[in-house]
Amino acid sequence: MSEMWVNMGPQHPMTHGLWNLRVRIDGEMIVEVDPEMGYLHRGIEKISEDRHYNEVITLMDRTCYVAGMAWEHLYVMGAEKALGIVPPERAEWIRMLSEEFQRLASHIMWYAAFVQDLGLMSPFLYGMRDRDLILDLFQSYTGGRLTYEYMRVGGVRNDLPEGFPAQARQVLDWLEPRLVEYDRLCMGSEIFRRRCDGLGVLKANDCVRLGVTGPMLRSAGSKRDIRKDRPYSRYSQVEFDVATADSSDVTGRYLVRMEEMRQSIRILRQALDWLEHHPGPVLADRLPRWLGAPYAPMGREGYLLKRNYPKGVGLSAIEEPHGEACAYVVNEGGEHPYRVKFRSPVFANLSACSHYLVGYHIADIPPIMGSVDVCVGEVDR
Amino acid sequence: MVAEVEQKGRSKPENADGLILKPLYTAARQFAKSLIRPSTIIYPFERLEDPKFREEVAIESGRPIGVGQVWDNYRGVHALNVNTCISCNLCAFSCPDLCIDMVTVPGGDPKHPKKCPQIDYGKCSYCGFCSDACPEGCLSMTTRYELSTPKRAEMVYSPQKMFEIYQRKLPMNPIRLERPANEDSILLDVPLCIGCNACARDCPTECITMIDIPKANPKPGEKPAKRIWKEPVINDSDCVRCGTCISVCPKECLFWGTHT
Repeated sequence: MSEMWVNMGPQHPMTHGLWNLRVRIDGEMIVEVDPEMGYLHRGIEKISEDRHYNEVITLMDRTCYVAGMAWEHLYVMGAEKALGIVPPERAEWIRMLSEEFQRLASHIMWYAAFVQDLGLMSPFLYGMRDRDLILDLFQSYTGGRLTYEYMRVGGVRNDLPEGFPAQARQVLDWLEPRLVEYDRLCMGSEIFRRRCDGLGVLKANDCVRLGVTGPMLRSAGSKRDIRKDRPYSRYSQVEFDVATADSSDVTGRYLVRMEEMRQSIRILRQALDWLEHHPGPVLADRLPRWLGAPYAPMGREGYLLKRNYPKGVGLSAIEEPHGEACAYVVNEGGEHPYRVKFRSPVFANLSACSHYLVGYHIADIPPIMGSVDVCVGEVDR
Repeated sequence: MVAEVEQKGRSKPENADGLILKPLYTAARQFAKSLIRPSTIIYPFERLEDPKFREEVAIESGRPIGVGQVWDNYRGVHALNVNTCISCNLCAFSCPDLCIDMVTVPGGDPKHPKKCPQIDYGKCSYCGFCSDACPEGCLSMTTRYELSTPKRAEMVYSPQKMFEIYQRKLPMNPIRLERPANEDSILLDVPLCIGCNACARDCPTECITMIDIPKANPKPGEKPAKRIWKEPVINDSDCVRCGTCISVCPKECLFWGTHT
């Protein structure tokens, strides 16, 4: 039978965003794949060079629209290293709390979208319902449901409102039995297991060679997690386990993400305990004037040279919900970053798709690509 | 043509036979629950931001839609108190999307018209930097979020329109940023100043007063000049650090710095 190319995308239910997967098929079997990205390129790195350090945070929420808090944290850490600012202790804990809530929300969103790719509708509805509670928590202290603009270079915008720990604990208590329910719907279903077991296998040494990180790497049995290996924020002070699986297939990635959600809840409980007993400032004092809220005119040129602000370079890496993200911020003096560069984990995970798609059937593409957890916003930036 | 690639397949799951009833049971239980307590609201008639509605959807009620008092902080459409606005421009300066224009409103004196922000909601990203920057607290964000309109021009909200929203007394974002303790002040490079009065004229808080000084350093043997020179003196406690004086100064003799 003759071979043919099939375009899956840019508008396709499998893609979760705007990208094109070109597939060469021989009958039902995939012979070659060619991912095409760049449909959602907005030039965020270039725009950042023309924005104040704090204004870049508005772009970070739009870089990845399901993990905005994690990207804010990434950028803010890089900018702080470049500017030589140390945030207060309480701000670090609030950031860690926000990032873990974001991981929980992002993984629930992934769960909802992934199972819908397999044709299951009710888990999608349950996932979206439970994610909304986390968005409500975000709204209660940041004011936004998806675009938070919460972190600032040198801390966070405002402290948690009164009664927040109690509300957050209620939500966590509500979510924990829900995770069991999710498992019952998927791992307890023979249809789900038959659809997913043994698909999209990518072994650990291939992952490392191709730069594939995050749950995909951990599902291959590797215990690689930046939160453990190179602790940032206050991850060294909380107890949690790195979730791993051995099967390195779609089911393994599902199990890793489910276990990560449980570990996130564990971290969140510890962070809430700490935050309840340690009040304090959330924004560093002695910040440069142009990092505060008012961005008044700078006046005569050379003001910054006169003040002799230190120049520097900041490199930060975090374990984003999708994998390992990295930011590089160059401070050449002045109120704008000279250069901002991001490393997106999903870009690497997607680019390696020929290594875990070839040889499977075309009907296996939705579960395999769903298990990658694609967020095209951060792929193209 | 026979493909060269090796065909890979699924592996049969272990211990997964006959597990079809488990998810069905879970879904059926949820279905029965949702008949009593649905997880949705009838939106245009019921609104989550309605205070009467909050207790009902809180997580204790078993109908998990909201977690209680979350709407007070919401960053929606702005409310502007035109009466207390001092036309300092800080909201326009802090806007990352450049969607704020300062437009003239009635009420100022004819020489120096009063200017208040006009916001283009087609561009606004609701980041809240403008209300954070507002030194008088007259620009704040409300819980209003319904903006759809058939005309693009209606997305531009004039100060009067935002004043109407203010008068409706919607819940406003209560979070106010405190001014940092170690703020820079505006300093004067005395030899460059020509005493033109532009800074004192345009200062929104009227914290700059022009004081008379005799011209410095008369040449030896020459009488001191009769002409009176003026020089601005800035009251730091009233100053909101808007930088208007810096931008209007023709000689660039005002600059940011700390008093030594």
